[in-house]
Amino acid sequence: MQTVSNNHGNFACSQYGEKWAGPDGDRITLAIALLKQLPSGSVNINSFESRLDFPTSVGIQELIEASTNWTISEDSESYLHGHSDSYLVAVTSSSEEPNWPAFSSNKNKNESQQELIDQWSKEVQGVSQGAYVSQAQHIVASPSRLGLKAQNDHGTTVWPPRQLNSEGARIESSTNTLSEPATILTWTRLSAAGAPSEFSGRAPLLDGVSTVLVAFEEGPKGVFMLADDEHEAPEIDGKVRFEVRRLYGQDGMMHYGLKAVLCQS
Amino acid sequence: MLDSSGDGMVDVAMVGAGQTKFGNHALGLKGMWAEAMENAIQSVDHGFQPSDVDEAFIGSIAFGGSQLGNTAALLTEHSGMEGVSVRRVENACASSGFALRDAWMAIKSGQADVVVAGGIEKMNDLSASRKRYWLGVSGDTEWERLAGLTFPGTYALTARRYFHEFDSTHDDLVHVSVKNHMHGYENEVAHLRKQVSFEKAQSGFMVADPLTLYDCCPTSDGASAVILVADHLAHKFTDTPVWVKGSGAGSDHLALHDRPSITQLRATQSAAAKAYTTAGLTAHDIDLAEVHDCFTIAEVLATEDLGFAGRGMGGRFAREGEGRRNEGEVTINASGGLKSKGHPLGATGSGQAVEVFKQLRHQVESPRQVRDAEIGLTHNVGGSGATCAVHIFGRER
Repeated sequence: MQTVSNNHGNFACSQYGEKWAGPDGDRITLAIALLKQLPSGSVNINSFESRLDFPTSVGIQELIEASTNWTISEDSESYLHGHSDSYLVAVTSSSEEPNWPAFSSNKNKNESQQELIDQWSKEVQGVSQGAYVSQAQHIVASPSRLGLKAQNDHGTTVWPPRQLNSEGARIESSTNTLSEPATILTWTRLSAAGAPSEFSGRAPLLDGVSTVLVAFEEGPKGVFMLADDEHEAPEIDGKVRFEVRRLYGQDGMMHYGLKAVLCQS
Repeated sequence: MLDSSGDGMVDVAMVGAGQTKFGNHALGLKGMWAEAMENAIQSVDHGFQPSDVDEAFIGSIAFGGSQLGNTAALLTEHSGMEGVSVRRVENACASSGFALRDAWMAIKSGQADVVVAGGIEKMNDLSASRKRYWLGVSGDTEWERLAGLTFPGTYALTARRYFHEFDSTHDDLVHVSVKNHMHGYENEVAHLRKQVSFEKAQSGFMVADPLTLYDCCPTSDGASAVILVADHLAHKFTDTPVWVKGSGAGSDHLALHDRPSITQLRATQSAAAKAYTTAGLTAHDIDLAEVHDCFTIAEVLATEDLGFAGRGMGGRFAREGEGRRNEGEVTINASGGLKSKGHPLGATGSGQAVEVFKQLRHQVESPRQVRDAEIGLTHNVGGSGATCAVHIFGRER
């Protein structure tokens, strides 16, 4: 992500420039990445919500609050903006449309860019053959899925969330956050034939999709799809950090979650 | 735990077993089940009628979504078993392994004398995306699947980690593939009846790195059924029953990331321990084992978890050809396994029992017959190891 800070506010754009936010990025993923870089606070999102490409499976407020330390408030004097035509986002102190700075692309044009854009639309609007995870489950698990919030069961860190422990007692929700980076235990790269149907349309355009199984310092392990790995292969014992990205489209909605990004060694 | 060692409980005999050919079937679900039952009935030496059946347990994952509810009643209706107490058993790819266990327990507990256990699946009339859907919803849908994983992916993660932890490479998996294709080549009910060279299997199309096409079993249509009876009825039906000497089952976390280790299957270890205990036998007593090689790495893990090889030695076991028919102490997947015989999901576990039934009665066509086969084992796994059923069979009671 590219960022600019000036006396008008804080601005962000993807590495791919203003016209594309990458294979699994959009204004929401850019906004979350920008907010995570800024000191926490509250922000008004009234003007941002109309700038989304697709309806989201979890509300914008839940997405932002689960994945950042920011809260959403209509009374806030900070405003989240999204550019109407370009993949630019900003946090400013005014509700007015900001003066957008110019960004250029830091990456070579992806030959499959338009096909990927079309594929996302097809996925969101089409009849899905993907696994169904209820919207309620998406919302309940948002703090874990988007913010790596973990539970504490008698001193043992638990993630992803569980219901009852071996004593039959309910494991309470927690605000503990798993620490980054995490360590790669193993990985695979799936061809379109090996990928779930949710991803089989994009897998050939991306020359496959990669998944890593990682261990967090606190003990829990998890599986994540890799992002931004066009030119790098993962390695066992390598490190990853996490970013909110598009996961898949289904039933008219876009689903978001954390993806792993390889740390530079 | 039900223990058959002199506690006065009923012993369980398998008196009939049959299946369809595994592969692409022109028959529909009703026709496939009828064919499997017909073959099972005809294998009963002294005659058998469906009206003899007290209970039936039929494993199936999904029928491709066509008849999710009351699946089993539909099938018994079309195989002369109207009115029989029947239910569908679902534990993903281990569905009919668990159907077999349920049937064994029904007789063992004295609640039934004659029980049918079987399984069925029809997958090859589905579109590729529908097939991936049904195959993928037996894993952890909320976390694994949304990270891009179905079973090729989860087993690929396991394989790469296994190579990292132990003295093993992908070539060891190639040995598994070549062996199972060699075994299945001669099996007339196998889905993929073709030999594969080491070089060809080594350079297959990459499905989920490091697993290639030759590491993955096919998705098959098929049905299989076995007929179990209480000991006092065994010789009414046959002079050469195959005795179900041991049964065990276990489970584990659904998702790989929740397991302490991904290079061993605790569900298999637990199921095997119980099965060996109920049978009063050990891994050294087994002459042939039909193990769940949905992916070649799964056979490597199974040889360790079932006790045929030490921890971390499964790759070497494959490399040195220990599981080849009549070459080592135990023949692994004499049928060709899931890799070659095929994998009709819900029909796989009872299909393994069909193979062992024939092998232990020395009725398998030459040269597939395992020499002097006395004790056989079946190992049926659900998903990436969330569930597992292990059974041990013998010629002697």
